[in-house]
Amino acid sequence: MEHMGIEPGRLQFSWVSSAESTKFVEVVKEVTEAIKALGPNEHFLKTKAKVA
Amino acid sequence: MSEWEPKIAAFLCNWCSYGAADLAGVGRMEYPPNIRVIRIPCTGRMSPKFFLSAIREGADGVWVSG
Amino acid sequence: MGIVKRKSAYVEYAQAVPLKYCIDGDSCIYIQKGKCGACKKFCPTGAVDFDQKEVTETLKVGSVVLAPGFRPFDPSKFDNYQYAKLPNVITAMEFERILSASGPTMGHVTCLSKDEKEPKKIAWFQCVGSRDMNKCDNSYCSGVCCMYAIKEAVIAKEHLGDALDCAIFFMDMRTHGKEFERFYENASEKHGVRFIRSKVHSVTPVTNTDDLEVRYVTEDGELQTEIFDMIVLSVGLEISPEVSDFAKQLKIDLTPGNFCQTATFSPVQTSKEGIFVCGTLQGPKDIPQAIIDSSAAATAAGEILAEVRHTRTKTAEKVPEISVTNERPKIGVFVCRCGVNIAGVVDVPAVAEYAASLPYVEYATDNLYSCSQDTQETMAQIIKDKNLNRVVVAACTPKTHEPLFQETLVNAGVNKYLFEMANIRNQNSWVHKNNPELATKKAKDLVRMAVHKVALMEPLEEAELQINPTAMVVGGGISGMAAARSLARQGYETHIIEKKSQLGGQALNLYRTAKGEDVQEKLSDLIGEIETHKKIHVHLDTEITDVEGFVGNFETGLSSNGTEETLEHGIAIMATGATPLQPVEYSYGKDSRIVTALELDRKFIENDSGLKDLNTAVFIQCVGSREPERMYCSRVCCTHSVDNALQLKKLNPDMNVFVLYRDLRTYGERELLYKQAREQGVIFIRYTLENKPQVNIENGKLLVKTVDHVIGRTLEIETDLLALATAVIPNRDDKLANFFKVPLNDDGFFVERHAKLGPSEFATDGVFLCGMAHYPKPIDESIAQGQAAASRGVTLLARETIFTSGTIAETDPMLCSQCGVCVSVCPYSAPSFIEEGPFAEKAQINPVLCKGCGLCVASCRSGAIHLKGFDNDQIFAQIYALNEAV
Repeated sequence: MEHMGIEPGRLQFSWVSSAESTKFVEVVKEVTEAIKALGPNEHFLKTKAKVA
Repeated sequence: MSEWEPKIAAFLCNWCSYGAADLAGVGRMEYPPNIRVIRIPCTGRMSPKFFLSAIREGADGVWVSG
Repeated sequence: MGIVKRKSAYVEYAQAVPLKYCIDGDSCIYIQKGKCGACKKFCPTGAVDFDQKEVTETLKVGSVVLAPGFRPFDPSKFDNYQYAKLPNVITAMEFERILSASGPTMGHVTCLSKDEKEPKKIAWFQCVGSRDMNKCDNSYCSGVCCMYAIKEAVIAKEHLGDALDCAIFFMDMRTHGKEFERFYENASEKHGVRFIRSKVHSVTPVTNTDDLEVRYVTEDGELQTEIFDMIVLSVGLEISPEVSDFAKQLKIDLTPGNFCQTATFSPVQTSKEGIFVCGTLQGPKDIPQAIIDSSAAATAAGEILAEVRHTRTKTAEKVPEISVTNERPKIGVFVCRCGVNIAGVVDVPAVAEYAASLPYVEYATDNLYSCSQDTQETMAQIIKDKNLNRVVVAACTPKTHEPLFQETLVNAGVNKYLFEMANIRNQNSWVHKNNPELATKKAKDLVRMAVHKVALMEPLEEAELQINPTAMVVGGGISGMAAARSLARQGYETHIIEKKSQLGGQALNLYRTAKGEDVQEKLSDLIGEIETHKKIHVHLDTEITDVEGFVGNFETGLSSNGTEETLEHGIAIMATGATPLQPVEYSYGKDSRIVTALELDRKFIENDSGLKDLNTAVFIQCVGSREPERMYCSRVCCTHSVDNALQLKKLNPDMNVFVLYRDLRTYGERELLYKQAREQGVIFIRYTLENKPQVNIENGKLLVKTVDHVIGRTLEIETDLLALATAVIPNRDDKLANFFKVPLNDDGFFVERHAKLGPSEFATDGVFLCGMAHYPKPIDESIAQGQAAASRGVTLLARETIFTSGTIAETDPMLCSQCGVCVSVCPYSAPSFIEEGPFAEKAQINPVLCKGCGLCVASCRSGAIHLKGFDNDQIFAQIYALNEAV
């Protein structure tokens, strides 16, 4: 990913069982915060704009 | 919108996290509205291609949860 | 429950089925005074009918199941707790409502006093209306309150944070259910819930506040006071007078506690033939046990009706499926308001309008309740009228409602896989209620993603499978035999596979039941019926060597004394049972006077003449149970020891009988035995895990030393008999678990489909469980679960054929590179190599075994595997639709 210029933090993994709604909400908040901190994703978008 | 809000593609396992997401709803728990859920049968279905394509399509992040 | 006011027109509770309003006649002004009628005026569908009257109908039935339930004990009459007077003294049922998201405080824990403050300290009082003959007549243990109090304390701490102080005042902590002991341990160790062994003396309000001063006496006799913000009374379960009157009318025998009288070997049969009982009318019990009973009652009711099965079944008319080949997608989008559940947050008309603008969408609308029957019919009509060939429903969650909407599609002649749901309730409106703008935006995104996906969906076929109407029961103990008997009585060929050379299992070692029945006599009756039943085939000294196949068509390899055979069967029931622990402590094995509980039973069975000459007998409880390496309660031993103590007293009333215990767990009406034992002079002394009794043999004397917590002294008892209540150890069989792909927990018990709602079945289709392989349990519960497993099995066998899922993986042999990764990666052994023909050695996938997880699809390096319904292009379509620009 780094090789392609994408911050690894843009891909997040977690394991939440179907009974763990509280954990789910926590993880959503964490993931959102982590990605918010990285700022908008600007990779590949330009290429796409050209293609489009 | 005054502040920039990220858009996150969430690949959730139908049996685990998708269920947790439903349950969070039943419990009326609030969380940020940034995720867009894509239901997959199992995280085993997840392929790197999905991640790359989501990033290419302008998602600011990808979250995979089993 | 009267915590807050309710309108006269109301929905019973948020998950009520059907989710419809009704009118409370007692408070409706129109019904009471003839004025108002506003609801009738405003109802757009004219659903309000004030003239509905009670009607009496007569049904002709072959069997009856009674399941009227319980009512929570009303503590108003207890003056020492002042429930009726003090606002912050509430019942556990009221506290459940306070914890509930749909409750009066929306799940926010607050006091019911006028200040509505957040409590900082909450106390639970156990045994309110249970185990009490002084202030009420309920001498039985309600069996569920210890566990629910711990659960409430832990949840309250989750809601309000660790700073909340929770204290539970109790007599004996009874966490005898599966995984309960660990929960208790965690509540104390991890969550810091305080457990105080004491019966509370009185509650008084602190002057000028709503705070409460609790006075209680500790175990060593010290009077203590402590102030709490809130007190929760753990009220017991009781049978309402209406129910007991009804039972008397039916001439059904009741127990002293007003529960239904049942025999240990027929736990759901009332004293009247053809009438069965389940749930709390049978005895106080928790959800899993009630579910087990209900399945058992269903099968018992079905046994006597087996001959007429399918005689009054109505078959649904099938609508022919329309072909969508070569047709461009014509998508219908239905956006659900779910009353105010969605529409209260999301701008539903705007979403529907937006949906109409999406590619291929021919029709978009919004519904009030998409799942209601009339809306379903309207939707089917719209699909037909507009010739729609793809449908998106934006509503709740596919996990609960996808099958319902798929049925609507089928009724409109559309393949059920040409469907997608957008989850705009559970995953949107309910969780973003403070952000309607973004929630609406998210709803539009989700609808767009669903529309893009559904456009690429293809009609899928489901394979139809014949079910082999034969059952295999692994284990010939009490519960295995009960299961086999139920299956055979309903007409299914049943094979019992038993490792040992005789039927009976652990019951062969038991003397008598808690209700006083002779186990050996009843057991031989049961074995006799099993051995003579035409449809039951018993395989003794037999082991399972191999299992192939799947639900409906298993092939199991059996080996018996060197002879091999293959058994074909449609379902399998695991009834592998348990064995007693062979103790290594308390000098067991060093002296013939030290025996296990079952060895004592053996002495009773054999009428050992030495028993009545004993001067002293000591029982030690929890030998190997409730310890770090075995963190579960063996459930049966307290009642067993108390009953044996009583038997010894019966043989020789002058005998000194001691029971050394940690918490005495005679749940339900077994409590009466405990009471009886105390009355007859059996001495109960509590010990702690840190300070276990010590056993010494000195000069031929058998000495037991223990600390008595009440008098605070060490006692030394010279005894003639020491009976050890040893733990129940499951017959852990990893090979068998692996054969049927069913899980085991750390203790070696099988893990059921759902701890509460699916206790007698596995997540694996066609495989069921019962008896002590599930958890330690007495005979009545083992038999009920055997019947329950049979009941669950019959729901499958009676269908005769089943359809497999259409969302499964399929290989494209042209692309397959024969690498074998899919074959090795699949957890269900679905892929295999084709053996012959043009595509020999390429991979193929068995549609019946495939669960559609997609593991093989992601791992296939050649891109040769497609997962129908979740194929690459379909998921890519959702990804491409993430942003509106596309």
